Amino acid sequence: MSVLSQLNVIQVKGLNKTVSTFEGDLDILSDINFTVKSGESVAIVGTSGSGKSTLLSLLAGLDTGSAGEVFLDGAALHKLDEEERARLRAEKVGFVFQSFMLVQSLTALENVMLPAELAGDKGAKQQASELLEKVGLSHRVSHYPSQLSGGEQQRVAIARAFIGSPKILFADEPSANLDSKNGHLIEKLLFDLNKQNGTTLILVTHDEALAQQCDRIIHIEAGQLEKIREGEGATVHVV
Amino acid sequence: MWFKLALTLFSRELRRGELTIIFAAIALAVLTVFSLSSVTERIRLNIEQKSADFIAADRRLASNHPLDDAFILEAQKQGLQTARQMFFDSMLFANDELVLGSIKAVSEGYPLRGVVTLKDGFDQADYEVQGVPQRGEVWLSEGLFYSLGLALGDEVEIGAGVFRASKILVNEPDAPFFSLAGNKRVLLNYTDIGTTQAVQPGSRVFYRMLFAGEEAVLTDYYGWLKPQMRDNQRWQGIKDRQSPLGENLERSERFLLLAGLFGIMLAAVAMAVSAKRYCERQYDPVAMMKTLGGSRATIRNIFLLHLCMVTMFSVAIGLAIGYVLQAVATDYLANFMDTQLPQAGFKPWLLSITIGVVCALMFSLKPLLDLFDIPPLRVLRRNLGDKLAVSRVHMALSVSTIFVLMWFFSGELKTTLLLFGGTAILMLVLFGVSRLLFSAGRKLGLSPGSSWSLAIATLQKRANANAVQLISFALAIKLMLFLFVLKNDLISDWQMQVPEDAPNAFLINISEPEVTSIESFFVQNNISHADFYPVFRGRANALNGEKFARTASKQEGEEQDEDAAEGAGRELNLTWMTKLPEGNEVIEGTWFDPNSEKLEVSISKGMAEGMNIKIGDRLTFLVNEQSFEANVTSLRSVDWGSLKPNFVMIFNPKVAGKFPVTYFTAAQFSEGDEKTVSQLLRDHPTVSMIDIKSRLEQAQSMIAQVSLAISFVLAIVLTSGALVLISQVQASLAERMQEIVILRTLGARGRLIKLATLYEFLLLGALAGFVAALVSDVTLLIIQRELFEVEGKLHPYVWVLGPSTGALFVAVIGYFMVASTMRQNTQGLLRKLA
Repeated sequence: MSVLSQLNVIQVKGLNKTVSTFEGDLDILSDINFTVKSGESVAIVGTSGSGKSTLLSLLAGLDTGSAGEVFLDGAALHKLDEEERARLRAEKVGFVFQSFMLVQSLTALENVMLPAELAGDKGAKQQASELLEKVGLSHRVSHYPSQLSGGEQQRVAIARAFIGSPKILFADEPSANLDSKNGHLIEKLLFDLNKQNGTTLILVTHDEALAQQCDRIIHIEAGQLEKIREGEGATVHVV
Repeated sequence: MWFKLALTLFSRELRRGELTIIFAAIALAVLTVFSLSSVTERIRLNIEQKSADFIAADRRLASNHPLDDAFILEAQKQGLQTARQMFFDSMLFANDELVLGSIKAVSEGYPLRGVVTLKDGFDQADYEVQGVPQRGEVWLSEGLFYSLGLALGDEVEIGAGVFRASKILVNEPDAPFFSLAGNKRVLLNYTDIGTTQAVQPGSRVFYRMLFAGEEAVLTDYYGWLKPQMRDNQRWQGIKDRQSPLGENLERSERFLLLAGLFGIMLAAVAMAVSAKRYCERQYDPVAMMKTLGGSRATIRNIFLLHLCMVTMFSVAIGLAIGYVLQAVATDYLANFMDTQLPQAGFKPWLLSITIGVVCALMFSLKPLLDLFDIPPLRVLRRNLGDKLAVSRVHMALSVSTIFVLMWFFSGELKTTLLLFGGTAILMLVLFGVSRLLFSAGRKLGLSPGSSWSLAIATLQKRANANAVQLISFALAIKLMLFLFVLKNDLISDWQMQVPEDAPNAFLINISEPEVTSIESFFVQNNISHADFYPVFRGRANALNGEKFARTASKQEGEEQDEDAAEGAGRELNLTWMTKLPEGNEVIEGTWFDPNSEKLEVSISKGMAEGMNIKIGDRLTFLVNEQSFEANVTSLRSVDWGSLKPNFVMIFNPKVAGKFPVTYFTAAQFSEGDEKTVSQLLRDHPTVSMIDIKSRLEQAQSMIAQVSLAISFVLAIVLTSGALVLISQVQASLAERMQEIVILRTLGARGRLIKLATLYEFLLLGALAGFVAALVSDVTLLIIQRELFEVEGKLHPYVWVLGPSTGALFVAVIGYFMVASTMRQNTQGLLRKLA
């Protein structure tokens, strides 16, 4: 493996995603190529239905492409089966979703601990408590999701995303379900923690202002990579 | 690590109530099966024991020829209890009075089942014993004491022997029902038979051997005995066909079994619904866990552990509640019946645990497998995996599991197929009807914004889900209706056979001059009575001029009524009548023409078949050495199950005046009439009374037991039905919350939403009730004809009862289930939906 590819935490080559419909095959994504360097923050923007969430799912190994290659921290996702991809996610990936996706029957603390517990990490509780403190929810550790506000739930989700110190963080419209005040709070928290941990951030959003905070912005339109431009967050990395 | 996570998740899901429904469904299945099978098994054993009381044994071997001692020895060798009986008539002599008595000689051990009821004085209370008279003593029926002018302890001569009349014989378990010859009863020690010298070559004697013991041993013994049995020997059990009690017993067993099946069916529906719902609710957590790196194996382990724990706990809880329920129910029954119910043994435990485990596994398996297949991508595409919920495999698996369980539980393929077929038709009809109705509703043109149009719109929108709900509701209502109607029908059918006001005593051997005085005695003492029937004894000895060969054709294992069995050449009780007696039906030929100048006879179907007699045949009778011929003009079906006097041969009144006759009648004495009865018998010492009060009470208590058992089953089925309903409505709660939120946001008023919900459930319930009534009535008709072999009929009241109770039942439960959701504010609902 080359030094370059080690630096490139995500490598996408000729990625296609085609789905079958009643009217024939439909290309969701076609011929996508780009790389993301370690520690970089990248926003994927595009209109609704442009294919940005599909791209996120392929980058995170939640789904597989129809053609092309995706490398995640050097691992060829396109060659791994679901179990292997899950293992990879457990080791290297964190997620934040628009709809928070907390397990309703677990407390805030247990939700944060969940990825570590699934990975068999025994020191999860300590780490989870620290993370909840960082997101300002140390007083809410034993609350269930239904007892938390939307903003609080997303903060729990962010804490969960950072447990196990993942190398890459995927965020899908993290503030879309929140009011602007809470939205901004969440965005700030996400970027701060990202910086502190040196995590690579892949952020899917509609929000141009939020995208601007990233190092680079990838525009997707009708399944095609339209352009890649620098965001305001770009300080170190150059394409 | 997954184990700890699994436990945490399990305890939380349990606390959040997510597992409550599946937990309750399994527990319900277990407690239903346990309590039902325990109660029915205990009642069945009790009924069997009680029925065994009627023949004083579990089985008996009967013949009019001596029975081989080797039979008894082998039975004893096999560990069976045994006793011997011999029946013969002999003259009793005391105080210069001579009376013909029916002697029943019984060996030590008699009665093997049931008890003998005795009295120590005419005015004393009776008591029960299990035993036989000591050597040199006899127990005589009260009538004999009067006829012979005896006091307790006096000596009486029977044949050549002298015996002490030590007790008044009130009743013995195998006392004859209506044997007009067996009225003056004497119980004698078997070893004293020789002393009487009454049994001589050529004497008319009947022999019986009684056997009691484990069912398996009895079967083995019969296996040994069967090849050695002669034509004139009969193996009889209480379950044998044509024994009135046997028929009732078999019917009640079938009924309870049928009822048990319904409990299982409902529990299975509740289980399938709740298992599916639980798994569906786990789709998001599973997708999330997979996204966060949880392996398939980890997820499988977590949820299989959940299934094991749910099964274990719910089976345990089900057994505990079931145990308490059956204990309470059987206690109540035992108190009500004033009897001890025997323990049910291990069978209900085994059955209910097996059913609990099988249900949990089979109804959860497919939803669980689907759950393991939920793709992690669902975290982004929220509806991904939803299509898995509509699984034909789950349906097929659930349906076949229900079928196998029913078969396993009933052990009867025919019953299972019938019930299953009925239900399958119900489901098909319902699916079609519901789709049709829900789409037709659109054309009704109700004004937008009205509660009714909202209710119909809601029904249409969830056409598929509603079709499933409708099927479940209809199934529950169908089972309830079914049970309710079957109970009413069967009980009334049985009660008609043994009505409350049935005569409880028969008076026989009434001479012609006594008829008037006895009749006026009844009037004076306000005792209701039947007509006085003339009776004379005679034999049928030739058919169309050809003498009968004395054969006793018997089908193996069958007990035919004694008259029918040995009619040819045997002395029969004969009578004449102008009107066809109650409970009889002419099935061939015509009833007597009142103007006929010829001698005509009507014969019971059983006897006609046994003696190969057809309409138009000439039968020759011998009465008091006088021979005469009569034409067979009708064949009758006779309800031998009824506790009414029945005759196998009835003449037209042309026979009257030819022979001396005695009369008999039936009367109903009340509690406290003992002195009146004694007076009557003292005044007419030659008249004999057959007291069938205890027989009636036994039969009525059996009916009451079955009736109570069915009520208990009905209560359980009702609860199961409610649970099915609750699980169904709960399964739709999330969707309802969403609708309520949308409607409220759009400005719908609370009253509109509430009424719409109420109407929706009313419509669903009424529709389900209507189809349930339709299918239940048709299935019932088939079942009555096929299983109970009775003439079925349609029940118009069910057609009203079905839709109305269906609407009420579904509306009340459904509305209250949703009421708490409707009371919450929009914000609270939104948070719950998040």
